[in-house]
Amino acid sequence: MNTFTYQMRVRHSEGALVRILGLTRRRRFDVIQFFAQPSPDGDFMDIEMTVRSARQGPTLARQLANLLDVTSVGFLVAEKAIAEKAIAPQAASVAC
Amino acid sequence: MNGAQHLIQALEQEGVDVIFGYPGGAIMPVYDALLDSKIRHILVRHEQAAALAADGYARATGKVGICMATSGPGATNLVTGIANAFMDSVPIVAITGQVPTSLLGTDAFQEVDIFGITLPVVKHSFLVDSADGLGEVVHEAFRIAATGRPGPVLIDLPKDIANAVAEFAPAPSHGAAISLKPAYKDITRAAELMRQSSRPVIYAGGGIGMARAVSEFRDFAELTGVPVVATLKGLGVLPPSHELFLGMMGMHGNQAANFAVQESDLLICIGVRFDDRATGKLATFAPHARVLHMDADASEIGKLRAADAAVVGDIRFALAQLAFVLPISEWREKCAAAKAEYAWKYQRSSSGEIDARYFLKRLSELAGEDAVVTSDVGQHQMWVAQHWQVARPENHLSSGGLGTMGFGLPAAIGAQLGRPDALVINITGDGSIMMNLQELVTLRRYDLPVKIVLFDNQALGMVRQWQELFHNERYSEVDLSDNPDFTAVAKSMGISSFRAERESEVEPAIGRLLNESGPVLAHVAIHPKANVWPIVGPGKSNSEMLEEEAR
Repeated sequence: MNTFTYQMRVRHSEGALVRILGLTRRRRFDVIQFFAQPSPDGDFMDIEMTVRSARQGPTLARQLANLLDVTSVGFLVAEKAIAEKAIAPQAASVAC
Repeated sequence: MNGAQHLIQALEQEGVDVIFGYPGGAIMPVYDALLDSKIRHILVRHEQAAALAADGYARATGKVGICMATSGPGATNLVTGIANAFMDSVPIVAITGQVPTSLLGTDAFQEVDIFGITLPVVKHSFLVDSADGLGEVVHEAFRIAATGRPGPVLIDLPKDIANAVAEFAPAPSHGAAISLKPAYKDITRAAELMRQSSRPVIYAGGGIGMARAVSEFRDFAELTGVPVVATLKGLGVLPPSHELFLGMMGMHGNQAANFAVQESDLLICIGVRFDDRATGKLATFAPHARVLHMDADASEIGKLRAADAAVVGDIRFALAQLAFVLPISEWREKCAAAKAEYAWKYQRSSSGEIDARYFLKRLSELAGEDAVVTSDVGQHQMWVAQHWQVARPENHLSSGGLGTMGFGLPAAIGAQLGRPDALVINITGDGSIMMNLQELVTLRRYDLPVKIVLFDNQALGMVRQWQELFHNERYSEVDLSDNPDFTAVAKSMGISSFRAERESEVEPAIGRLLNESGPVLAHVAIHPKANVWPIVGPGKSNSEMLEEEAR
C-alpha cells in the first residue's frame, strides 16, 4: 500500500464533495485524511486529501482532474511506501 | 415563459429533433411545453428504453441523444441506460422531473435522489435551482456531453422550477467543441517509438469513432502500413476486407489479431481503455510490446498498462502528424498470412439446423455496408462482432462496456429515428429480447421499419456456454425452454413475424426480412448448444485461445 496526497481547488456546486469522495472510493483508494476550507476569495473550496491504495496515485489525480467541479489538482506527495499497519483505523480522520 | 418552456426552447436551440421519454407527475410541465414545440417526442413503453434509444440515436448520428422521464421510478428506470452511455462514452442528456424544491429531502411521493444515484455513471449532473438559469444549464449540459471524451449528463428539474415564470434570457451560444491539441513533444516521442519498431500493431478502439476520426485513422493506417486489430467498439475503423485489418482482438477475437498483438514490439493504442475483455490476462498481454497510447482522456493513460509514450488530446491531429511510411513489410506479410490462416470458415450443418454465424454472414452481405446493425448482449453479440461486415463504427451499435441485455431494440429505434433512410437491423437473442420486448409496440406505433433477427437457443446461451466450459457442465438457471411463441407475441403487437429453423430456410428468411416493408421479426431457431469460438478462458492470456476442436 502507498499513500498519496492531493490538493484540489473545487467549485462550490451541488454534490462536488460527494463526487470527489465517490470517485476516490470507486477507484479503490481509501481516504485517510480530508480537509476542506473556503479559498481565500471565498469562491472555491480548497481541499487536501490523503489516501492509501495499492493503485497508482497519478491515475487518480487524472481522474479527479476530469471532474468538472475540480479546477486544479496538485499531486503533492509522490508515492511513499508505508506498512499497512502504520495507519491504524482509529488514527484515520476525515474532516469535511 | 416558465422554466419548462425555457428548457424546451434551449433544446430547440441545440438542434434537438427528437426526445425519447415517458411522462409522469413531476415532469408534466415539460410535457405541456412540448406540445408547442416542433421537437418530436417518442413515447417508449419503459424509461430504460428511452435512455437506450437516446444512446442508439447518439451512436448512429454523432449527435447528442435526449431522454426524459419523471421523478422516482421514472428516473431510476433511466439509470441502466445512463450507465450504458457512460461506459461506452456516448453523449446523451437525461432530463428528469423532480418533486418541488419544498419537498426535496422529505421522502415525498415519487421522490428519489436521482442526482446522487447517478453520480458514478454521469460525466456531470445538475440539480436545477432556478428557472432563470435553466437555458444556460441545458447549453452547458450539451457542451459537456459532447466535448472531449463524451458521456451522459443529467438534468434534474424540480417541478416548481419548471412551473416558475422566468425572465427570457438568451442563453450564451457556445461554439464548436474545443479539442485539445496534443503537445508537440509527445508527438515527437511517439514518432520515435514508431521508427524504432519492427513489429508494430494498431490497437483501435471506440474512441476513434467517437472522435469522428475514422478518415484520419484510415489515412494513418494506410500510410504507415501497420496491421490493425480492433476492440468490439472499434469495429468499422477499417473495413473487414482491408488487407491491414486482422479482426477483433480479445476473448472472442480472431486468432490472427490476438497473435499479432502478442508478437508485437509496439502497440499503437488509439481510443482504447485496455478493457479486460480485450486484453485477457493483463500481465501477459502483449508481453514484448512498448505502448504508445493516444486518447482524448488523459485519465486512461497508464490506468491499466503503463505507456512508453502518450499523446493526449485531439487524435485526428495526432494521427495526421504521425502518418509516415514504416519499413515493416516482412511483419505485415506475416500478419497477413495469419489472417488468411485463421479466416472464418463456414461449413454446412450436417443436421440441417441453422448456423447463426452463416446466417449473419449472409444477412450482412445482402444488407450491404450501409446497414446499421444493433445487437443485444450474449452469444449473438459476439457472432455479430465476428461475422458482420462492419464498414463504419457508427453502423455497429453494441453495448460494449456495460453489456446491457435489452440494448438492441431500443438502440435500433434510436438509430432508425436518427437515420430514417438507413436499413436498421437488430440482432437479438431469446434472453435479451425479453428485457425490452415492450418496445415492439413502439416500432408499430411509429411504423419504424426495423428488422429483427431473434436467435432462439432456448437458453441464456453465453452463461450456458461458460457453465459448460468452466463450471463442469453444472447448468444453473439458464434454461429458457418455456419461451413464449415469439412470432405470436410479435403479431399481437402488430409486428409481422415468421419462424425459420432449417438451413434451407436461411435465404428465404433473409429475403423476406429485407424485402418486406415495415418492421419484421424473424424468429430463428438455433441449436441449444451452439457456442462462440474461439474463446479465451477467464484469467487466461490471449495467447491461450480455446478452439472448438479442443472442447
